[in-house]
Amino acid sequence: MASESYLDLPLDTLLDRLAAPGAPGGGSAAALTVAFAASLVAMAARCSEGWADAGGVAAQALAIKDRAVALARADAKAWDRALSALASVGPGGDPRRDFELEQTLEHAATLPLEIAELGADAAMLAAVASELCDGAHRADAVVAAALAAGGARAAAHIVEVNLGVREGDALLARARASRQAAAEAAQEALDSGR
Amino acid sequence: MSSFSTLTDAELVRRCRAGEPGAWDELVERFSRYVYAVCVRGFRLEEPDAEDAFQEVFTRIYTHLDSLRDDSALRPWIAQLTRRVCLDTVSRGKREQQTENPVPEDTPADLDAIEEAFTVREALATLPEQCQDILDRFFARDQSYRTISEELDLPAGTIASRIARCLGKLRNELEGRSEPTSESRE
Repeated sequence: MASESYLDLPLDTLLDRLAAPGAPGGGSAAALTVAFAASLVAMAARCSEGWADAGGVAAQALAIKDRAVALARADAKAWDRALSALASVGPGGDPRRDFELEQTLEHAATLPLEIAELGADAAMLAAVASELCDGAHRADAVVAAALAAGGARAAAHIVEVNLGVREGDALLARARASRQAAAEAAQEALDSGR
Repeated sequence: MSSFSTLTDAELVRRCRAGEPGAWDELVERFSRYVYAVCVRGFRLEEPDAEDAFQEVFTRIYTHLDSLRDDSALRPWIAQLTRRVCLDTVSRGKREQQTENPVPEDTPADLDAIEEAFTVREALATLPEQCQDILDRFFARDQSYRTISEELDLPAGTIASRIARCLGKLRNELEGRSEPTSESRE
């Protein structure tokens, strides 16, 4: 099934698709985790009538959710291409082919970086919500922060292990910073939720 | 930014009627994106037809500006004119080509979305510059909190709250706007 349409599947079929070989893979799963987190933040904000900034927080959460879903789609396509490129590598050196492979892999790493950054945003927004939303939905906001941090951490890991990324690359530093920011925000939310 | 850019639509119409230099340019500048978006996205006109329709709309605006009954209703009047011109273009194309080329079924929804986008854009222009900037960065340019924080030299932890407060101002501005009631005789 084309990666463009897999997000239209019923949830159980989507999970079966995720369990099957090929795309979608870990990057898409991380992006969808961030989307789940953002949706929970939107729900917690929408259920908080006494919170003046609730509408603005919900709007940001929905924007993050939409971006995460788009990234889930894009990552599945990029991973598909990267897998095909890796499978085509044969014995012996071919500079042109090696360069194209490196480009493909580097592109495949930029999407997980965006997912990691979006995860950090979702975690920070969830931390705000966990502090200020209606008490009945505080646990949802805390769960959102934890999920978002998980998504950011997972996506940052994908950037770290990408063959096209080297130690010292700006991509790597940004991915790690996002992972750190998301983890701190989630910890803040977990602490405030106790 | 021209000296006319801060005028209300009604004031701009009065200046255009009075023939003040620069007023017509401002009117075209203010509504050109809107008219073009309705032609291309709303009615799916191809490039040459969209350009012809665009010219025709502004010719009609120029010619019939005196017939506008309520100067503050400039935008709905231009919207109505644009739709008529686009529908004429679509009908003409069907007659000429003798082919099925119906206006897509989702056209009304697209037009509503275009109207809404331009209403939001107008309301956005009334907000303080810092608010315009931060909302543009997050919602239009998809910048992360971290990037916004770095580029504006603000603490990352405050970005979400700043955006929320600016959205609150935008909402107040949009809620304070009343729908124009009358359009024109055209």
